[in-house]
Amino acid sequence: MTMFGFALACILAVSGAFAADTCYQDVSMDCGQASNSLALPRCNAVYGNYGRHGNVATELQAYANLHLERSYEYLLSASYYNNYQTNRLGFSKLFRKLSDDAWEKTIDLIKHVTKRGDMMDFSRRSTQEEKSEKNYTVELHELESLAKALDTQKELAERAFYIHREATRNSPQMHDPEIAQYLEEEFVEKQADTIRNLAGHTADLKKFIVANNGQDLSLALYLFDEYLQKIV
Amino acid sequence: MFSITKKMKAVIFVVATLLAVCAPTFGKQCNVSPVNIPKQWITMQQSCRSSMRRQIQMEVAASLQYLAMGAHFSRDGINRPGFAKLFFDAGSEEREHAMKLIDYLLMRGELDTDVTSLIQIRPPERKSWESGVDALEHALKLESEVTKSIRSVIIACESDPKFNDYHLVDYLTGEFLEEQYKGQRDLAGKASTLKKMMDRHSSLGEFLFDKKLLGMDI
Repeated sequence: MTMFGFALACILAVSGAFAADTCYQDVSMDCGQASNSLALPRCNAVYGNYGRHGNVATELQAYANLHLERSYEYLLSASYYNNYQTNRLGFSKLFRKLSDDAWEKTIDLIKHVTKRGDMMDFSRRSTQEEKSEKNYTVELHELESLAKALDTQKELAERAFYIHREATRNSPQMHDPEIAQYLEEEFVEKQADTIRNLAGHTADLKKFIVANNGQDLSLALYLFDEYLQKIV
Repeated sequence: MFSITKKMKAVIFVVATLLAVCAPTFGKQCNVSPVNIPKQWITMQQSCRSSMRRQIQMEVAASLQYLAMGAHFSRDGINRPGFAKLFFDAGSEEREHAMKLIDYLLMRGELDTDVTSLIQIRPPERKSWESGVDALEHALKLESEVTKSIRSVIIACESDPKFNDYHLVDYLTGEFLEEQYKGQRDLAGKASTLKKMMDRHSSLGEFLFDKKLLGMDI
């Protein structure tokens, strides 16, 4: 029984090796040729049908582009809150942090696209994107700007869920645990923290606005901004 | 005609005041109304301001072009991690330049309005490069254009008939041009070292140079 099992395993291993050895085949074919060029088209980083089935590859490019756009939008919000009229250094710092994080993730995503043997396309958009929601405005008051931050962070988090689902469940030909674990480790966990913090900030501001018939508002915004400077 | 507009203005003013007074009955006030601060300290002129804004957009566009270079050299078939690192770092540096210029405008009392339109994100123009030398030479061209553009900002800001903006001109000359000239010399040196090796030993030369860029000694 064990002998039979061993033999079977050997046969499977050999046939599996033949199926995967396409780069080796390219090498052994081309190295015997008289021509002095080597094409080796299958010696690349693509495996597991990445980029061949489903939309994970294109969605990952679009995810990098979304981070890039958000990064510069958050930078503009950070700038707006640092002008002499608004002068909310805590809000500025909050948006600056969001911008820095999104920028860092942009580069990381681009590297991951190429890690999986793909090319980065900077004009790629997600199929999940609604055409109308393109205009981000930064000239907003404090609560409005936090609401925008919360909504856009949720969009990033939900997009990660979407790509995760496409990589693991939605396509019968595509199961990509590498992409799933990359999203889990580098995005999903931290996004939950960011979203929770922003939601907490809006809850605090909401209480200040309604308390004491709105009399607390100007002092509350000042104190809350000082608080943000300490915690961001 | 003149009196009508004046009357209309008065009516609008009354309505606005009524609205402001009755605001709590119409809805919740979620923000503090803006205050008026004297503005005589805000001295930057229009032509200088708009050339600074264009410069910020240019630095942003350069940052995206460098990201595209980083992406190209990260590809499996290209495999030049040293070049990729050089260009990704350059992209982050351009972003920092944009932030420094923004911070300067903020210090001078600018960017209280029209902030959203300051930056537009467009996909970078170029997507692929023949070789490391090709990319270094393209980067050098890009930097020369940025330098030229900074010089035009300086000209706009010092030659305004109403206000010579000495301080901004000094900042751009002392900090930005300094960095540009050093950066250009560095890129030119790298391009020439690599190009000399490419003459006879192109693939080995580029491979070795790439590892050098990674900080690795072979």
